[in-house]
Amino acid sequence: MSENLTVKNLLLKISICLVILLIVMVICIFIGPEMSRRVKAVLGIGSHSLTKTDIQILFQVRLSRIILAAIVGAALACSGVTLQAILRNPLADPYILGISSGAALGVIIALTCGVSFNLWFGSSISIFAFVGTIGTVWLVWSIGRFATAGSSITALLLAGVVVNAFFSAVIMFLTSIAKSYELRFIAFWLMGNLADKGKPVLIISSVCIVTGIIVIFSIAQKLNVLTLGRAEAKALGISTANIRLIGFAVSAFITAVAVSLTGLIGFVGLIVPHGVRLIFGPDHRQLVPMSALIGAIFLIIADTTARSVFSGSEQPVGVITAITGGPFFLILLAKYSRKISWAK
Amino acid sequence: MRKQWLFSIIVFACLAIFVTISYNQDKASEAGPNNPPGRSVRIVSLAPNLTEILFALDLGDKIVAVCDDSDYPPKAKKLKKIGSFFKPSTEAVISCEPDLVITLWFPEQKAVAESLQRLDYNVVTVELQEMRQLAPAIEKISRAAGAEEAGERLNKQINIQLEQINREYRTTQKPKVLWVLQSEPIRVAGTKTFINEIIEMAGGQNSVGPTLQQYPQLGTETLLTCNAEVIIHSAMSKSNLAKEQKAAEHFWVKFPDLPAVKNNRIYVIDADTILRLGPRLPQGIKKVAELLHSQQ
Amino acid sequence: MKPIIEIDNLSFGYEEQLIIKQLSLSVAHGQFLAIAGPNGVGKTTLLNLICGLFKPASGNITIDSIPIGAYSARTLAQKVAVVRQEFVPVFDFTVTEVVSMARTPYLSALGFESEQDRKIVAEAMEKTDTARFAKRLLRNLSGGERQRVFITRALAQQTPVLLLDEPTTFLDLKHQVGIYDLLKTTQLEKGKTVVAVTHDINLAAQYCDEVLLLGNDNSFIIGKTKDVFSSQQIEKVFGVKTLSSELGEEKFFIPLGKFAKDTQRIFPKPPGS
Repeated sequence: MSENLTVKNLLLKISICLVILLIVMVICIFIGPEMSRRVKAVLGIGSHSLTKTDIQILFQVRLSRIILAAIVGAALACSGVTLQAILRNPLADPYILGISSGAALGVIIALTCGVSFNLWFGSSISIFAFVGTIGTVWLVWSIGRFATAGSSITALLLAGVVVNAFFSAVIMFLTSIAKSYELRFIAFWLMGNLADKGKPVLIISSVCIVTGIIVIFSIAQKLNVLTLGRAEAKALGISTANIRLIGFAVSAFITAVAVSLTGLIGFVGLIVPHGVRLIFGPDHRQLVPMSALIGAIFLIIADTTARSVFSGSEQPVGVITAITGGPFFLILLAKYSRKISWAK
Repeated sequence: MRKQWLFSIIVFACLAIFVTISYNQDKASEAGPNNPPGRSVRIVSLAPNLTEILFALDLGDKIVAVCDDSDYPPKAKKLKKIGSFFKPSTEAVISCEPDLVITLWFPEQKAVAESLQRLDYNVVTVELQEMRQLAPAIEKISRAAGAEEAGERLNKQINIQLEQINREYRTTQKPKVLWVLQSEPIRVAGTKTFINEIIEMAGGQNSVGPTLQQYPQLGTETLLTCNAEVIIHSAMSKSNLAKEQKAAEHFWVKFPDLPAVKNNRIYVIDADTILRLGPRLPQGIKKVAELLHSQQ
Repeated sequence: MKPIIEIDNLSFGYEEQLIIKQLSLSVAHGQFLAIAGPNGVGKTTLLNLICGLFKPASGNITIDSIPIGAYSARTLAQKVAVVRQEFVPVFDFTVTEVVSMARTPYLSALGFESEQDRKIVAEAMEKTDTARFAKRLLRNLSGGERQRVFITRALAQQTPVLLLDEPTTFLDLKHQVGIYDLLKTTQLEKGKTVVAVTHDINLAAQYCDEVLLLGNDNSFIIGKTKDVFSSQQIEKVFGVKTLSSELGEEKFFIPLGKFAKDTQRIFPKPPGS
């Protein structure tokens, strides 16, 4: 943090993190039942060898799960970073603008309408969740802009609250008429789940998310300036309206992809940017790629814990992120509540 | 630079913890029950009623794993488990090396089914929500397992038993039944439910008319005027039926004018077993019918 | 040489009422202009119009012979730098990071500073004696030190025009003088045009070449400080009596309210009233 940020410097840090990510992925592939046998088989110790089942489990079931955790963790962390910069609020997370209820609404509508189809890029539930999320963000953005001339951040936040409240009411109604198994599904889906989705879905989601993260990185320096406030940013040559729009739109997009894949996994988008900021400083050119990588690592570890802590059963990954996230959030609140300057 | 080291250490410390935990479980699972020897058909069932159907089709010794709540027949309890009804573990299913996996249709199980199908496993998904779906389900399962004859026989047997019940309890006087699933707030089984089918098969009628919700919440007004002659509660847990019985009776003391309360015809039953949509369905219906038509 | 800032018939208001009405003036290259006037008369508004933050209701502003509307945010930032009230940023940036943001209008697509950019930043920090804070967080500095940092940032932006909005409010005497010295040095050594909104008439008289005095009735006077500043003018615009006297080339003004200690002696009431 005290050294000057250069391209070389940054590439070095990113490479180290990437290596850590790969090591974590490899270790986590093996964690689970029958671990020692498989590890010995891979290392060539003793007379064990990998069976066809082993290969299936390790490289198809677990690997795709780990990749999913990586891209979703990266997406949520980057989205959190961007929204915190745009809203100039260290307590923002990807779901702050009504996204959570939008996604839930999409899923519930899909279930209660009995829609069920599988396109190559996603199931009906995923698609409805994605549309729900993007639709909500668009709605909040429009209301926020319509309410005041020019984009005031307070208007945006209030619009988010209003939309959230309205959608929650609709959700309550639909939930009351839903069938019992639908209810259970909705509850678990909302907790966050990292089930296998198939290769085409994984590939296209990865492409979407990585592209989104790269776009955010390209405006990272401008995000730095944006955090100083609208007037200051304009004086330094940033067209604030454009950058806010791009940042917002891309964040919403990658969050929508993440949510449509795995439901609402909380706290990743809040804790990871903060942790990274504490260690590496607030420069977004560093914050964005490091948050992506560390978000990936965090979610992989959380998911691995979720599936191996109690043998035989699987805890929802949202439980693990919340358990680590809750106390951390309280610490943040204590530290920041004295000096939050709510944006004008 | 120091902070980065600290961060790396934390990451590795966490991983070390998980590896240790995992290793301990690893030991546990190695001491678990062995898979049946031989290379005959290996079947995995993801629901208790599917397990019962398989056993009724005489395929019991081909089953290698079942879901956690498979408790009938008692043999099933000793089989290897692959996760709960709502959260079956794809991994656990794969490690059993099954030739045939039978799942239910609802979203959580369907997701696991699709996962397995992508890995080229033979998966049969069965829709089992209403009584009329039981026969086709048994047929589908028996065909997949190569036991069509057993399937036909089972279906015939079930049919005969149901007809018998029908004849025995077909009365013009259908007692009004209120089937309670939850008492705070009161939620009952509506007309579009499987429970309703059971009530009607057992010669009763639902106290509630058609409602928007499958399991509607009833207000005090509706309860006062529902004229229920029999009130049945689905027990929350299997273990303490006596306690729940007391609680139920205590609840209904507030409605002394209901025929069911006046005649003390409030029953708490273990609905999970009785209402399982499987080969024991006729017995379950018979138990309910006995409750409805006994004069106490 | 054409003036670097030209304002022609400018009018602007936040709502129905116009705060600035048909204002016309020009600022020559290398001038140090003060903008003074009572609260609410539109000094900061005028500054915000010149730097392009607000759009005029009518009239034109031209910066370096190009109308302000023709500039993009980036190109305008290469011509005009703005220093407002110091503040603590929401996130913990260091002094170097904040000053480096001045190079934003010159950065390549990826957004990384070049060697040249780094040199410019280092030089600016040396000039303003903020180099010793280089690695400190902005929130750990005093108000005066922070204000210097923001001025440093404006210098590192290397613009021909420097706009300042009350740069010395809340600062002690030493810092007030220090900052005006810095601004004057910049004007004289680098030939920058400096426009500062200020409440401090005396400092303006000592340091600025010209002053724009805005009045509550949309009136304005612009001219050399020694021509514009006089006790009558100040009383007319601010409604306050002042004792003034010459100090070298310029006058100084001491404001005297009703109960100030020397008012009776200086403005004695005639007997019988």
